[in-house]
Amino acid sequence: MAARICLARTSRSVSSIPTSFSRFAVKRVNVGAQLRSARAFSISAVVQEKKYTKDHEWVELGSDNKTVTLGISKYAAEALGDVIYVELPETGLEVNFDDAVGAVESVKSASDINTPFSGKVIESNGALEEKPGLLNQDPEGEAWIAKLEVENAGEEIGKLMDAEAYKAFTEESS
Amino acid sequence: MRSRACRARACNCWFPRTNQALLRHNSSWAEKVSNPQSQIQTYISKSRDPYVNLSIEHFLFQKTPPGSKILFLYTNRPCIVIGRNQNPWLEVNLGLLQPHDTHNASPSEPPALGTVDLVRRRSGGGTVFHDEGNVNWSVICDFADFTRDKHAEMVVRCLRSLGIERARVNERHDIVLDQGIDKQQVEGSDTHSTAYTSTNAASRPLKVSGSAYKLSRNRALHHGTALLQSPNLQIIPHYLHSPAKSYITAKGVESVSSPVSNIGLDNASFEDAVHAGFISTYGSGMERREVVDDDLLGIAEIRKGFDELKSLDWTFTQTPQFVFSSQPMGTMDFDLSANGKFSMNIRHGIIQDCEWTFSDKKTSAKELITLLSEQLAHRKLHEIGDWAASLKAEDLDPKLSELLAFLNRTLPQPA
Repeated sequence: MAARICLARTSRSVSSIPTSFSRFAVKRVNVGAQLRSARAFSISAVVQEKKYTKDHEWVELGSDNKTVTLGISKYAAEALGDVIYVELPETGLEVNFDDAVGAVESVKSASDINTPFSGKVIESNGALEEKPGLLNQDPEGEAWIAKLEVENAGEEIGKLMDAEAYKAFTEESS
Repeated sequence: MRSRACRARACNCWFPRTNQALLRHNSSWAEKVSNPQSQIQTYISKSRDPYVNLSIEHFLFQKTPPGSKILFLYTNRPCIVIGRNQNPWLEVNLGLLQPHDTHNASPSEPPALGTVDLVRRRSGGGTVFHDEGNVNWSVICDFADFTRDKHAEMVVRCLRSLGIERARVNERHDIVLDQGIDKQQVEGSDTHSTAYTSTNAASRPLKVSGSAYKLSRNRALHHGTALLQSPNLQIIPHYLHSPAKSYITAKGVESVSSPVSNIGLDNASFEDAVHAGFISTYGSGMERREVVDDDLLGIAEIRKGFDELKSLDWTFTQTPQFVFSSQPMGTMDFDLSANGKFSMNIRHGIIQDCEWTFSDKKTSAKELITLLSEQLAHRKLHEIGDWAASLKAEDLDPKLSELLAFLNRTLPQPA
């Protein structure tokens, strides 16, 4: 599984290789489609950049400025190995900073997913119940874990690491 | 911590402590555990209570400082320990947990262990059986220092130092004893093969230690069993064979069963060797091994973890969603034409809905289905004792009686 993730990443950065180019292109179109559909619903649609926590979760603030999507980072997904079960939070659950909002099982390991914010769970990604392996394939995209409604989300999210700082953090700690 | 520790409970202390002294002892213990200076910590528990030991272990996992390396050794009274994301109805013969259970599904060979605790642990992996002939070893370190094999390899080196030269780590990160007959030449330091590693299927290695892990907030816990001298190897399979197994389709984690063996060492020799192995790996000069006991329940957070592990809600309603069906894949134990096909969808241990379908589509079935659905929906499966008694029906239709008898056989009430 780790090998497959590496391949995918390579294919995105080395776009001159013809075999991987088509996959790269498909990916771009998908992102574009998501952006367009977000704009249709909101006039101030700026998709915020992903931020990362020291516990290897990523969060993304929605255009409404209060909905936060949460998942686990690619780095964490690779370290966990083949995911065979994902426990998702119930919709409506009130969570406090650092509470577990989900759990992942992989290779005899149970790992908590903790929330960096207090808030309310408004949706969880049911697709992971049927296909836990999605978490290995697309941890920072399709395999998001939950959406939370967070007060002062913009302010809260600003305290977390951006992609570059997170990359430095993972390199330093491994 | 100090103020909350006033819920302290005086119990089996090794020397008499007053409540005040116990309080002071517990709060200074908790402070020492989390002190950033306490980089190497080793403990052995005198408690045989699985809920206490797992709660002390969890406290160490959560509270020990970044960078620290922790060893914790403990032995439990007879109990079955299921993984965090497992299904007790699938993994365990629940009717055997209490010795005098009237729903005991296999009266021909009653196991003689008395009460056996059923425990859902916080780590992943499959179901294991513990008793006094099994020593659990647990190592906690930073996630960055962790691999799934590292500490199993450490324990293999300890076993070899005690003369167990057939011990090695297998591809599932467990420890096995090789059963090959011919001795091969091998590199002595390789913890993944032995002179007796064999490709012959007839000499399949025997499992002596199973691994499981818990990962959170950049810390990693690896714990394993070590089957040293269990007198119960013959009866363990009875406990781990569920009468409902062929009727359940479950999400979550299913156990992989393996042939097991005792290592044939006494507990103290193994404990000493693992302690010595841990010290030589991580920290000479830190040889002192601290004894802990039930009195640590005086620490509020350990007590809280203990109460949670002991609650039936934790054990049963944490079960991943599953479907119980009388006809999972054409199984004919329960005759479709005569009795219909019965199924229940269970989420969080609670019956969401049930269905009962008949091939002959008789109208009488409709009333039965309504009766069942109305009375079973939203009930916690583990709280249903006698299935017949749980239905408020004036007189039971013969079809319904047969179905309820089937449910009593396959889904007996846990202790």
